[in-house]
Amino acid sequence: MNIIVINCGSSSIKYQLFDMTKNEVIAKGQVDKIGLHGSYIKHERKDGDKVRLEGEIVDHQIGIEYMLGILISKKRGSIKSFDEIHAVGHRVVHGGEKFQSSALIDESVMAGIKDCVDLAPLHNPPNLKGIYAMQSLLPNVPQVATFDTAFHQTMPDYTYMYAIPYSLYAKYGIRRYGFHGSSHRFVSNRAAKILNTYLKKLKLITCHLGNGASITAIKDGGSMDTSMGMTPVEGLIMGTRTGDLDLGVLTYLMSKEEIGVQAANTLINKHSGMVGITGVSSDMREIEKAAFEENNERAGLGLKMYHYRIKKYIGAYMAAMGGADAIVFTGGIGENACDSREEICKGLEFAGVEFDIEKNEATRGTEAIISKENSPVKVMVIPTNEELVIAEDTARIIEEIK
Amino acid sequence: MKMSERLSDYSLQKKIVQGRNGGLQKVGLIGAGGLGQEIIRSITRQGIEVVFIDKSEELIVQIMESIGRQLDETINKWGITGSEKRAILSRIQGSTDFNDIRECDLIIETIHRKGRGTSLLDRKEVFKKLESIIDTKTVIASNNATLMISDLASALSHPERAVGLNFITPVSKVGIVEVIRGLDTNDESFDFAIRFIKMLDKRPITLNESLGNISTRLIVTLINEACEILMEGVASINCIDDTMKLGYGLQLGPFELADRVGLDKVQKWMDNLYFEYGEQKFKPSPILKRMVRANHLGRKVGMGFYKYEHHKIVSQAITTTDYI
Repeated sequence: MNIIVINCGSSSIKYQLFDMTKNEVIAKGQVDKIGLHGSYIKHERKDGDKVRLEGEIVDHQIGIEYMLGILISKKRGSIKSFDEIHAVGHRVVHGGEKFQSSALIDESVMAGIKDCVDLAPLHNPPNLKGIYAMQSLLPNVPQVATFDTAFHQTMPDYTYMYAIPYSLYAKYGIRRYGFHGSSHRFVSNRAAKILNTYLKKLKLITCHLGNGASITAIKDGGSMDTSMGMTPVEGLIMGTRTGDLDLGVLTYLMSKEEIGVQAANTLINKHSGMVGITGVSSDMREIEKAAFEENNERAGLGLKMYHYRIKKYIGAYMAAMGGADAIVFTGGIGENACDSREEICKGLEFAGVEFDIEKNEATRGTEAIISKENSPVKVMVIPTNEELVIAEDTARIIEEIK
Repeated sequence: MKMSERLSDYSLQKKIVQGRNGGLQKVGLIGAGGLGQEIIRSITRQGIEVVFIDKSEELIVQIMESIGRQLDETINKWGITGSEKRAILSRIQGSTDFNDIRECDLIIETIHRKGRGTSLLDRKEVFKKLESIIDTKTVIASNNATLMISDLASALSHPERAVGLNFITPVSKVGIVEVIRGLDTNDESFDFAIRFIKMLDKRPITLNESLGNISTRLIVTLINEACEILMEGVASINCIDDTMKLGYGLQLGPFELADRVGLDKVQKWMDNLYFEYGEQKFKPSPILKRMVRANHLGRKVGMGFYKYEHHKIVSQAITTTDYI
């Protein structure tokens, strides 16, 4: 069974074609700068054949047409006809309270995704465009939506509610939804496998540390709390986002700087976080270089803040769950930045974390346990694979309807 | 990779080929004065390229520098990031050669004339020149408040592609643009202009041509009546502005607004409207004319109905008795 996984952003489409029988990626690529000057498609086949083609790609529909055109072409393709695509899996960012799991796309699911546009005005519309395009190009192929928020729908009300008037929750659905759900789900399932037990028996703290970052407390097999809220700006300090911030600061700044909602949004989403503190970059590697090689004080401060915030959340989630069996690191920074992992875990011995510095330093981008053999709390590195989650969900749902 | 391989080789439908198919990737802009620069920023911020034409290489350098400064101000106000600024600037190309806009999907004319009299003839000349260079279907838009698009279109052999636009300053903050249909404008061109305005994340206000559109007709009468009230000694500038701001929720009072637009421009709008409609309500108030003669043109010169320092109001410039 072949499944194509699509992730549509505002001006890009990432895609992977999976052969689920052999459990491998046959082809993958990215359409970029859609509707902009210099639009292109980058495609890679499993045998290593690569191509980058520039041309006019005015919208998502045309981008997807070219992608399919390449996939069935003699020269660059991997399949002979569209009959070899058995299903399409779409990443959809926001599923609101409607979607607790991935869903076979029909009219009511489409209506549900549209209802969530208000909650994710930048993300859900391009996701919908991708679905429309696929429906018109491959009308007989079943399609499945996997939601970033779905995994966190197990959160109890006392962790997802904000302490604002209840009527606003009822009116607008303002509550914490959380993101990176597919990633937290993937690494928690992997962790259970590696630890040779059932996920339901574990208390896990999964840290997805990439350009965006979130941390999740997983208990009884599901998310019980996560650091991102109604939008992805809450929680950990990120590349360009504030993470947790006193709300009073925002209203004070809007008044002092005489800025409106739009600029305030840009301020907390693009000017803040690591780039705002350090003034160096939003890229962790550059910040570490500035801190360690150039003795840049603000870079050093940024790193301390970044690590402290994560450590604080780990402590909070341990308290919330009554301990933890493992802490899992994933995402670009979580998988590769051994200095950050060490700083975050330093001082957690009291809670049962016996960190193995040597194992940690030897681990970059690979699955490993980086705590000492008998550490009561295991520390793990597990590279995430959100596309695989979408492909597997799609395959499962397709099997069910057969 | 062989050079001969093209993206269009992989098109599923042969009709998708390289070239224009209703896409909007590049806009040509003629005359990059203050308003033109604001329009350039709004367009390029949405990822669309702009080629602007102005009179000399020297001027083009100045315009680029000016746009850079405006973007820096936006950064200082947290509106964009440094890398967004670089991306925006990379989409702007200045030229003195009309041939450089040949490939544009839409042309906007934003020339302005200093001093009295209308810019109609200058604009007509530009329209004619454009037609000799661009494709017969490329839409030509004129940005102006008090000229008729049909007048301008009469200079074209394909008048159906002429559309009127009216951007209001500050363009980055104003959420509407008037899109004006002339007598000959066809649906295709009109819809294209509407789509363009939507791409700028603004609401297009569609209307049939009428000198002064909606915005200018209404605002000049407000300013004129405010001048009357002032001239009659009824109330001070502050009181009149505050009444409209606090009483009716306008963001700016009529005098602040006039100062911001520029009193010379306000007078020119009124002259044009008065000439067209012959109605007293459009006849520029004597106060306004006196101030224009004295070069008290508003915020841009630091003196208008208010005195300004660093573009901020410091006091009323005139009291009622000065003019009675």
